[in-house]
Amino acid sequence: MEENVKVKILAFVLFLSISLSQAFAGGFQLNENSARALGMGGAFTAVADDPSAIYFNGAGLTQFSGVNFMLGSTLIAPVFTFRGVSPQVTEYDATKQTFFPTHFYATYRYNSDWAFGIGFTSPFGLGSQWDSSWVGKYLAEGISLKVFTISPVAAYNLLDNLSISAGLVYSFASVNITKEASQYPFAGDALVTMNGKDNSEFGYNLGALYKPSDNLSFGVSFHSKILYRFKGTVSTIGASQLASVLPNGDVSADLTAPLNLAFGAAYRIIPELLLSADFQYVGWSSYDTLTFNFSSPKESVANPRMYDNSYIVRLGAEYNLNPDWDIRAGIYFDKSPVKAEYVNPSLPESNRLGFSCGLGYKITRKLTLNAAYLFIRNNQLTVNNSLEDYATGNVVPAGTNPNSYSPFNGTYNAYANLVSLTLSYSL
Amino acid sequence: MKKLLNLILFLKEWTAVVLLVVFIVSGCQDRTNLTGPSSKSGNADLSRYVSIGNSITAGYQSGALYQSAQVYSYGNLIAQQVNSNYSIPFISDPGLGGRIEVQSFNPATGVINLTVNSNVGAPINSNYPSSYNNLGVPGAVVYDVLNATSSTTCASYLVGGSANQYFDIILRGKGSQYAQAKGLKPSFVTLWIGNNDVLGFATSGGTSPSTPTDAGKFQGLYTLLGDSIASMGAKVVVANIPDVTALPYFTTVGPLMAQKIPWTYIHSKGSPGLFYQAHGNTSASLTYADSAALASYKVLITLPASNYTGLLGDTTGLYYHLIGATVPTGIIVTQPFGFSPYNPWPDALILDPAEITTAETFTFEFNSTIAGVASSQGFGLVDINSFFNSIASGGLVENGIGFSTAFFVGGLFSLDGVHPTNRGQAIIANEFLKVINSKFGASYSLINVDAIPASIVLAKRSMFFKGIYPHFAPGAFKHLLD
Repeated sequence: MEENVKVKILAFVLFLSISLSQAFAGGFQLNENSARALGMGGAFTAVADDPSAIYFNGAGLTQFSGVNFMLGSTLIAPVFTFRGVSPQVTEYDATKQTFFPTHFYATYRYNSDWAFGIGFTSPFGLGSQWDSSWVGKYLAEGISLKVFTISPVAAYNLLDNLSISAGLVYSFASVNITKEASQYPFAGDALVTMNGKDNSEFGYNLGALYKPSDNLSFGVSFHSKILYRFKGTVSTIGASQLASVLPNGDVSADLTAPLNLAFGAAYRIIPELLLSADFQYVGWSSYDTLTFNFSSPKESVANPRMYDNSYIVRLGAEYNLNPDWDIRAGIYFDKSPVKAEYVNPSLPESNRLGFSCGLGYKITRKLTLNAAYLFIRNNQLTVNNSLEDYATGNVVPAGTNPNSYSPFNGTYNAYANLVSLTLSYSL
Repeated sequence: MKKLLNLILFLKEWTAVVLLVVFIVSGCQDRTNLTGPSSKSGNADLSRYVSIGNSITAGYQSGALYQSAQVYSYGNLIAQQVNSNYSIPFISDPGLGGRIEVQSFNPATGVINLTVNSNVGAPINSNYPSSYNNLGVPGAVVYDVLNATSSTTCASYLVGGSANQYFDIILRGKGSQYAQAKGLKPSFVTLWIGNNDVLGFATSGGTSPSTPTDAGKFQGLYTLLGDSIASMGAKVVVANIPDVTALPYFTTVGPLMAQKIPWTYIHSKGSPGLFYQAHGNTSASLTYADSAALASYKVLITLPASNYTGLLGDTTGLYYHLIGATVPTGIIVTQPFGFSPYNPWPDALILDPAEITTAETFTFEFNSTIAGVASSQGFGLVDINSFFNSIASGGLVENGIGFSTAFFVGGLFSLDGVHPTNRGQAIIANEFLKVINSKFGASYSLINVDAIPASIVLAKRSMFFKGIYPHFAPGAFKHLLD
């Protein structure tokens, strides 16, 4: 026989399933940036009469005077379960986690025409953690996305009953993703860890508030979309035999946070009772494909997300019990931007209902405490046309024959409890 | 201060209200009940399920019996699918027998090198008070199910003096496979036995034993076994025996030799092909196989023979030196190994056409017996033979994942070329579930094969062999049919 014959005896292409694209799932927007607004179901665009106006509608800053501070945090405790994969109904529970996004605002009324403010908020964020051996491990294991903004806003009284505002948004963000990658046909998974950040992106916001009478107000608020260009590193722990095909090195990915356009109306029906309603349009269609670019081995993984624009309808009420006490309640409906076939367990997304209640108490003339509780219930979602392939972790193109991949069909349930506390102080 | 006190009092009043709201709202989770599987469906009741069989039933893979493969034995997969308790005689990884693992793998070329893990595992739950639900014993033949109670009462010991340790480990002196199954008062039994009654003959190249179990004897044993199992009063499903000659153990090396041997050069030196010893021949031989015969499975080269393909043309008698045998009379080792009638390819490394016919004929006879017993006893019959033949000819696709009977890349067989992978076991389990559903009017859902993890083990150790053939360490198959 010939010597040194180098022949491949077994043609074999390693099926490397590093599709990390599902990392950013839908609805990672956080609107819980004030306990008072939260208590009113978030219907605050036409109210905006405290320092959190910086987030909800900057034009509201002209409604009050002096120097004011507001500091608060919201505890978010979501619960996710998945039952499947169809026809199996085995239940998998995501690890319970709690998050504490913080908000801080400072405002200054310069004169009768001008008011200024600066705010620090976390308008987007996401965290979910599943067991490393669960059935959907190639689709989602752990993710933590944190987005922060610092936003100076100026508001101007254009007319007696009309004020407008404009704000600059400086934002920085970080993301951590852990994921299992299949080493098929070899036993055992490779653990992929990615860390990325983007320290400097900019956006803007605009607002307007119109008060045709003392009891009636209308508000409009616009937040631009922001493109985050995450850069970071990927490291993979897997079999040494596969080292040449496992990603290690640099990774980059772009993610667009959607624009928001909110319309609000508020009416003081009796002196003690304020009613408020919002319609918030969210431009999620900007989130269509998420692409990860790896440096070693050089490879780009593009994944369709195909979000739809969506909206949130909010109703809220605030009742002044007495000069010291306010009680509040609200309800909202949040339309899911994610088509069922693209739902990924990183954040099981479906239409949501939110029920809130809250109270405010003037501890002293200068110090106010607001507290709110919000319960969010996701509609039960049964997916039977998933494009998420749980054997590989890839997303297959729409229209793919469901017998030619492993669709991640099953039933999602999710709910969340939120508690928010905010302290306001007026100099 | 007074204000603060007011606040505290107020919060105390409201705490109850808030808690009540939380309680009410939390109740609105909209969790429509999805019913989990029940162990009873139609006329089938798998709440007390026992599987009887051999190494395939035990969950043996890649030349060893070890826990991380045992949990994917088809019996356990069925039990999990129907929510039934099922105990297994676990042996810690890397198990007993010498697990074959992939030492190196080149993703660019697909070349793999194999090694044998020299570590051994040990029984984990040998104190389990009851009998195991998984009563698959590696190496068991049809005789053993009713008769073997230990390593020295099994057929391999009685016939060839080879004590099979698995009978001691799994049966633990509590009686035969049959007796222990009966003791568990099962509501459902699966029986898959008889493979080794022909496989031992085939994997040894028709040398050890030199014939399969006598067909008449098999019929008598299996009929008695059928009567005995029927007497338990359980619902029963049996499986028949796949055509062993389509296993990757037999179909991998021959085509590679057809492809890689420099035939033009061989012919120019006057050799028409690969000279080999026909069945029972231990001396010089004029029979030969050309490249077409090797490529088209007219003769079958066994997988362990890949260890000796590098010796083709050798003129020093290295083969006999390596296997520790004296050179048989009539063999001239200075003639080129495999290419001379006086130094032919050994009988133990090849199934010649007659041996192939023998294996297929006996498989057919055994399957006729199994079908007859299943029919007369009212057992369900899993026709693994037909199913396996259809995969051998056309492959199988499960949710886009392709399977074939090819070695390693086919996905169905582990690295010993005989025993199924985890996913192969899941595919088998589904064949059982389909028969259970149709025979007993049950509606158990099938297993998602794509949710079953891959099972080819990558070695962590450094001993390996380089070569163009899958290369097995000496002794890799020693315990294959203990």
